[in-house]
Amino acid sequence: MENPAVSKHTISFGLALALCAVLNALLVIAKEKSKGVAEWMQKMTGNHWVTHVAIVLVVYLVLGFGLAGMNRGQGSKTTVHRLTGIVYLGVIAGVLIVLGFYLVAD
Amino acid sequence: MNQPILMAHVVFGVGCLLVAVWIFVDVLHASATNQARIRRMSWALAAAMWSAFLIGGYWYVVFYKADKSIILKGPWPFAHDYFMETKEHFVITLLLLATYLPIAASNNLAANREARRLALCVAALVAVLALLAEGHGAIIAMGVKVALLVKPN
Repeated sequence: MENPAVSKHTISFGLALALCAVLNALLVIAKEKSKGVAEWMQKMTGNHWVTHVAIVLVVYLVLGFGLAGMNRGQGSKTTVHRLTGIVYLGVIAGVLIVLGFYLVAD
Repeated sequence: MNQPILMAHVVFGVGCLLVAVWIFVDVLHASATNQARIRRMSWALAAAMWSAFLIGGYWYVVFYKADKSIILKGPWPFAHDYFMETKEHFVITLLLLATYLPIAASNNLAANREARRLALCVAALVAVLALLAEGHGAIIAMGVKVALLVKPN
């Protein structure tokens, strides 16, 4: 299935969004489970949450522009239909991991 | 006086939620006549979300410590331990969704069913997460209130 007239940035930033939603959740687990990671994040900006936000936003931009540059600048070949499913899955998984993690975390 | 900052955070957050619902309905009826409005409203949603996020982030970093210690000494410590801890992290995903919506809405929604479906997906996720954030915020505020209402023995 081809992408009927959507911009390459729609695909690339959509994929970046789904990946970063999961990355966001994994960062939560990493900093809550590892004192070293939490201290490093605290040291980087003076507040662990500010570092967390900065990492996710930078990765989002890098992935978004990076995926748009794939295939000699034509962008990722993922279809819009598939992208919608990936966005749903990534966002819901990321949010559920965060909500579930703090339910069971010490 | 940090209450006006906190209220501005809530106002922009509610604005984001309302605009997400507006966009969802508009995209359901996407046509050549409302396409420009959908794009403008998508940018408005992104602006509202970034405002709510930056104001809330500033408040969290600068003022929240005092509220946190009040909550933890009160009868609702879970208002911080669960609701603030989860809210401060899932709103990052909400920020990404709100930032992405103007990109998703930049396509020809009137003619392209798949692009319309994507925009509906993003607007719906924004609305659900914004509602979740508002509910979490209410419980956090209630955590402070019930702690201050506790009578010392």
